[in-house]
Amino acid sequence: MLEENKLISDDNIARTKDLLACLERGDENGAREVLDELTRIRETELYQEMGKLTRELHDSLTAFGKDDQLINLAQEEIPDARSRLRYVIKMTDDAAHRTLTAVEESMPICEDVTGKSSDLHEKWRRFVQRDMNVQEFRELSLLIDKFLEGNTDQVKELRNKLNEILMAQDFQDLTSQIIKRVIGLVEEVEDNLVNLVKLAGGTIKVDFEKTKNDHSIEATGPAVPGVDDHVVSGQDEVDELLSSLGF
Amino acid sequence: MKILVVDDFSTMRRIIKNLLNDLGFMNIVEADDGNTALPVLKKGGIDFLVTDWNMPGMTGIELLKQVRADDKLNTLPVLMVTAEQKREQIVEAAEAGVNGYIVKPFTAQTLKEKMSKIFDRVGG
Repeated sequence: MLEENKLISDDNIARTKDLLACLERGDENGAREVLDELTRIRETELYQEMGKLTRELHDSLTAFGKDDQLINLAQEEIPDARSRLRYVIKMTDDAAHRTLTAVEESMPICEDVTGKSSDLHEKWRRFVQRDMNVQEFRELSLLIDKFLEGNTDQVKELRNKLNEILMAQDFQDLTSQIIKRVIGLVEEVEDNLVNLVKLAGGTIKVDFEKTKNDHSIEATGPAVPGVDDHVVSGQDEVDELLSSLGF
Repeated sequence: MKILVVDDFSTMRRIIKNLLNDLGFMNIVEADDGNTALPVLKKGGIDFLVTDWNMPGMTGIELLKQVRADDKLNTLPVLMVTAEQKREQIVEAAEAGVNGYIVKPFTAQTLKEKMSKIFDRVGG
């Protein structure tokens, strides 16, 4: 603080003595003048302090705005996270439809098998009770033969549908990996916002952490179309790449 | 044939286990990352390793490197089934001595093909 801003100073003592003298001799105008002078000095001091604080806040905010991490978060990571989350929606949507389609296609097969089984069961019961003529028995034999023949194919078909449902569940692993990555980003944003709040409070010095840029060998999870570079587009490209390496 | 399936997601382990059962492999054991897989491998009796890449604790690539560095395990067939599909990662896995590399999402047919290709090569 500057020397002239000190409360206990020779100038202020002299001014206060003047004020007392004016009051004692009933000089109202003189007293007001001294009081105005004292107020002006006090206000100047306040403005100087406010100016200093404003400058500090401005400098800190400028420094904060220039921080690579925050710019990177706003310009790259957040839009990137949006694309990743949209991809999660697409994957869960695809998985649900794959499952529903397989279930819808399985239902008629089950109904067909159940219908034919109960029809045959009914006829078989009549045969056991000897309530069936030779012609009807011939027809029943043909029906049983046809049923058993078709049954193998239908069970195979059902098995394929069940397999389809099984494979559709792979979305859980893949979407979780993407969501975990976005959670990491949210935490990073949170840290930065906390820093900003502390900064606005003006009481705690902000310590910027350096952005980690080395992701080269880190596992990055499922590639998102249109977001990730240098990735293969599917199994065929993996096979091509491996065969070029002598596999 | 005893197969160890390593993946941190139990859903994916179940999928792979079911597919392997479908291919006739009934003896499957599971682990959820490299750290839990390695002691199982070192104990012996595992004939084939199927592993994910991205796992907490020890990753699949680290597990592969540890397997190749172990005198008793260095010839163990290793199939990587992973969502990691950066070219440099595939190259790294190949250099570390992986026997097959499948990217997720994959099909039952792909798993079948890669398994039989590995068996043809190792003469199993």
